[in-house]
Amino acid sequence: MKLFVLILVLIGGYASAHQFTPTYPKLTASHMSGVSKAEMLLFNTRKEIEYYSLGVFDKDWNKIKFASENKIIPIAYQERKYVNVYIRDQDTLRTMYICSRSKILQSVKSTSIVASRICSKIKK
Amino acid sequence: MKLNKLLLLIPTLAVTLGAGATIPINGTVESKCVIMTDTDGVYGNPTADKLSTTAADGGVVPIIRYDIITASAYKAVITTPNSFSNSPELPDVVNWSGATTVGQTSDASMSAFETGKVIYNNSTEFDLSVAGSVWFNVSSIAEYGYDKALPAGNYTAFITAECVAQ
Repeated sequence: MKLFVLILVLIGGYASAHQFTPTYPKLTASHMSGVSKAEMLLFNTRKEIEYYSLGVFDKDWNKIKFASENKIIPIAYQERKYVNVYIRDQDTLRTMYICSRSKILQSVKSTSIVASRICSKIKK
Repeated sequence: MKLNKLLLLIPTLAVTLGAGATIPINGTVESKCVIMTDTDGVYGNPTADKLSTTAADGGVVPIIRYDIITASAYKAVITTPNSFSNSPELPDVVNWSGATTVGQTSDASMSAFETGKVIYNNSTEFDLSVAGSVWFNVSSIAEYGYDKALPAGNYTAFITAECVAQ
């Protein structure tokens, strides 16, 4: 089955897809004391999408404060971008999900548009 | 003289070795969920007060493909719209309905996604317990007021497709 999906991925070339990995990121020490970070990879092959937003949540989907280079990430079509998400050590225990969500510009005028959101779960 | 011969040998050897070199291609398959917009939906306007993506109403059903590399790593949550993101001014109420069903699958056992789905509010949740590709058909219907005609203009609504790690 994995082979089938891999072939599909290679042949299909992801005409219009959103990827956010790893599935289970690890929080590691950052260069700042009292702050941990997760390294995420965002891949955009949705032509109509140029921006993705980030969000960090606990198990009940309450927002958790975080920092990153951009909270709204500008990303070109078929571009991969590494994103560091910084979380205060005092919040690391209750942090559960890191999510990316496509942002659709008002200028996109399709009648029915898909907003995609992918959430990774912190490895404890 | 010996040194000259040796110098001549070096490029010859380099070419010979280069011609026979093998270049490794490395790849890893990691657990991930990929959301792919397969078909953009279009609202049909069968009656003056109704917008619908169903084929019977002249619309096009949006189709979203999920690629699942590792079974049971993610759940899919698909939310149908309950408001327009872009429309003419609508002073009356819009009544929304929608449904998400499993369409094509790469594995017959994925039919379990449909039987095990959980519906709440305008969201449908699927446990992606089988690896492979699955296509979800999403229908959306908006009915305006009580037999009131929708004002002329462009209408846009969002479907939210989510992958949440378990």
